Amino acid sequence: MGNPAMTSGPVESWDPAFLGVFLILFAGVAVFAGAFPQGDRRWWRLLALLALLITAGMLLGDGWARRLLLDAAAFVAAAMVCNRGTPEAARAGRTYLGLLIVSVICLTGGLLLIPDGASAPPYPWNRVATGLLVIGFGLKLALVPFYFWLPGVAAAAAPMTTVLIVSVVDLAAVSECAHLRVAAPWVFTGTPHLWLAIALLSMFGGALLALAQRDLKRMLAFSTIDDMGYLVLGVLAGPGVGLSGALAGALGHALSKLLLFGSVGMAEARLGGPLSLESRGLAARCPVSGAAFIVGALGILGLPPTFGFVGRWRLYLAGAEYGGGTLVLAMALATGVAVLYYARAIHRVWLGAAADAPLPREPRLATIALSVLMIAVVTLGVFPGAIVWQLP
Amino acid sequence: MDTLAILPLAALMVGVLAELLLGRVLSPRAKGWVAFGSGLCALGGALALIPLISAGKVVEGTYFPWDTGVPLRVHVDGLSLLFVLMASGIGSAILLYCVHYMEAEPEGTTRFYALMLTFMAGLVSLVCSADLLLAYLSWEVIGLCSYFLVGFWYKDPAASNGARKVLVMTHLPGYALLSAILLLYSRTGTFLWTDPAIRQAFTSGLFLLMLVAAMAKSVMFPLHTWIPEAMQAPTPVSALLHSACYVKAGVYLVARMYSLADWPGAWNTVVLALGCVTMLVGALFALIQVDLKRLLAFSTISQLGYIFTGLGVGTGLGVVAGLFYCLSHGLFKATLFLCAGVVQHATGTRDLRRLGGLAARLPRTARIWLVASAAIIGVPLTNGFVAKWLLFTAALDAGQVLVVLIAWLASVFSSFYILKATVSVFYGELPAWLQSRRIEEAAPSMQVGMGVLAGLCVVFGFAPQVIVGWVVSPAVRSLGFAWAGQVSWLGVPAGPAGLYGAAAAIAALAALLVGLGLYRLASAPRVEPVGIFTGGDPLAAADSMLDAADFVGTVEEAFAPAYRIADPDPIYLAVWRRLQDLVGSVDRAVTPLLEGHPLWATAAAGAVVLAVIWAL
Repeated sequence: MGNPAMTSGPVESWDPAFLGVFLILFAGVAVFAGAFPQGDRRWWRLLALLALLITAGMLLGDGWARRLLLDAAAFVAAAMVCNRGTPEAARAGRTYLGLLIVSVICLTGGLLLIPDGASAPPYPWNRVATGLLVIGFGLKLALVPFYFWLPGVAAAAAPMTTVLIVSVVDLAAVSECAHLRVAAPWVFTGTPHLWLAIALLSMFGGALLALAQRDLKRMLAFSTIDDMGYLVLGVLAGPGVGLSGALAGALGHALSKLLLFGSVGMAEARLGGPLSLESRGLAARCPVSGAAFIVGALGILGLPPTFGFVGRWRLYLAGAEYGGGTLVLAMALATGVAVLYYARAIHRVWLGAAADAPLPREPRLATIALSVLMIAVVTLGVFPGAIVWQLP
Repeated sequence: MDTLAILPLAALMVGVLAELLLGRVLSPRAKGWVAFGSGLCALGGALALIPLISAGKVVEGTYFPWDTGVPLRVHVDGLSLLFVLMASGIGSAILLYCVHYMEAEPEGTTRFYALMLTFMAGLVSLVCSADLLLAYLSWEVIGLCSYFLVGFWYKDPAASNGARKVLVMTHLPGYALLSAILLLYSRTGTFLWTDPAIRQAFTSGLFLLMLVAAMAKSVMFPLHTWIPEAMQAPTPVSALLHSACYVKAGVYLVARMYSLADWPGAWNTVVLALGCVTMLVGALFALIQVDLKRLLAFSTISQLGYIFTGLGVGTGLGVVAGLFYCLSHGLFKATLFLCAGVVQHATGTRDLRRLGGLAARLPRTARIWLVASAAIIGVPLTNGFVAKWLLFTAALDAGQVLVVLIAWLASVFSSFYILKATVSVFYGELPAWLQSRRIEEAAPSMQVGMGVLAGLCVVFGFAPQVIVGWVVSPAVRSLGFAWAGQVSWLGVPAGPAGLYGAAAAIAALAALLVGLGLYRLASAPRVEPVGIFTGGDPLAAADSMLDAADFVGTVEEAFAPAYRIADPDPIYLAVWRRLQDLVGSVDRAVTPLLEGHPLWATAAAGAVVLAVIWAL
């Protein structure tokens, strides 16, 4: 273990911001799970363990100990998927676990090939390392063409478990990816077209497949894939506006996804079944959930004045600087498709006339949590300085 | 100076905060007064800027840092002031109208007033922003406000669907604006449009991107089809959206592009063509509407065509005409919508086929409507006449005879549809179903709101030099035009060039007065039913069952091919359906294969990635 990459590196400037957002997410998830049970007692223990591992990992700075802790957190998340107890959840959990193992092996192998954690190894090991890292991050971040585990997990797992995976585990991986971009830029600059292709495939593939979904949670899963494409593009563009865009985008993604899955989960728990495009007029029966879904959607789409815009304009600028007008227009086109499927979901599922009888009031604690998050997403969009100063 | 620059925006934002903080304790009426007070303060702030701006000065200020390297920077010049006055002035009148209109609304009044004020603040922020990124932010805030306001009655499927169309059709082209701004930044390293580097880097591609965004906001053909669907909003929202705070954002952007670059002739041609096509299409579709608000919506499309045409002429007088038209349209269109709101409030319908004879029950509203109708048609002594006069003169001076002919044709159509609406709503006999209904005239606050706007239509029609001298000329000068002309009474250009015009105007006015005098002498006016408007000769008694719908049918038949060609919605719908079918097919083919065999799929994808890396 004489590899310098295995020793601990500096805590990057953005780590505290990530940790802060993760703590907010853990609190939100806990409040929500208190109102709507997401699993048995073991689920709570797993949640506590996940929070502990992520917090310790983020505090440790760059290095193997951190990677170990974050990988362990991902395995805990896989256990939380299985904890739901349904055959679908067990199958989705097994798939996630299997691909996670492949991902960890690829990432570990790739990193081990980098002699000092920074310099490119000699040919052909540089290509092997790049390939392993692409596959490893592709699997962990559910990028196209490695996304196969995510839609199943989103549909079968408890909503808050999915939130933890797409908003905490995945984004910790984005942070890892950003660390690598700073420490070993050749991994990205050596094969820029491949990374760019994966980013664009994720944007368009995620967006178009989201448009094909009728189940809302599967739609949100593909929307995550879509969003990861933008983040990877930001990481590829590198230090400056690209990396800060990816990191701000990741934070915005985390907050918005909690709102989206939280609202869907709350409505599902009260209606007793999954939400699909056949559901109608839910905002009249679950007004806070409806508002949370709309704000979350606006945040994910990067519309001002939500915090999502703070990341999105940087990512677009990174696109403009990296690929000129063509790339920025391609990004706009992908976002346009995302607008279409979110608008369809909002107007078919939430707005419009309610088909059935009114439901009892939404649980107070959960509505307070969602309301606070909605205010946070907008307030941070109007005054983003509190967070963006920590970004590179 | 700094304080003055931010005053209108600050006043509106304080109003928003007050609404949100006090929403639970205030009655709907009190919330309305708070919003009106906030709008009035913003108007006061805007008026206080007039002396400085008309003296050729620019008011600037830098406030809190919004994002890294992007502080809130304000640059108020003549063009900004014109739009700030429009947003705060017309907006305040509409808010005054709202006090009574929204009083009985059972829920959502805090949301309503907070959004209305944010809507106005969005336009103020857009036109005052020196920073293009913050201008885009404001642009989208305006868009979101309109989306939420159109969907205010979100439980009503029609309102919800209308809001969806607004969001999709105006937000998507907004990415063209964002792309243009970011491409400009990547070339110049600045978001400040006042930076000379912007002028060097501004290309035709960027112009087209910005124009696409402006077209969607300002309902230019073929991106205009969202606005009739937005009519499900509460009427004050429609009034604000059409007159001051939404469709005018695109006008601002096109006008501001004169500050960003020297326009080559081709740009003018594009804007002129857009304006001409849009004014005709809007008027054609307005002719066949039987819903009062939809008719006014299509009329907005047509009127925005005039405004773009003025800007597209590209001369100082053309821009004067465009901006004066913009301001005038704000006044008369807001008035017409507010009157439509009174009609709907009183009768519960906007269907022209079910209305009639309301002048007897709503006499003040009818008079106000008549003034605004005269203005939109372009009757002398109203601002609409001055606007058209300036536009026609500018087009003739620029040798654009075809433009004048098209504008004239669109004006004829405008007269037809406005007369149709006027007669169908206010004249004839009261329908049987309304005779037993209690029809109340608008409340005093509503009348004041509408009346002030209608009054200004006449004031600026009689003495346009007031607004041209203080507001429009500084705006035109701020865009780099050295326009030294002057406008005199009734809109006649001052100086020798205006002699013929002055003579014609005096002749027209004299004819009007003589006609009125003769009419008064010949027969004392009395209230009696009039025949239904047919667009032609009076109908024979046997045909007296005909109504507005029959006129619609005739027109529809006559212009059938034009209606088929000029409606782009079937194309949008076909694209949407094809896209859904395509992604559905891909999903059905790919998902079972990939998600059903994830390890194999991953292995295959991994092999492809490794092969690509090796090949690169």
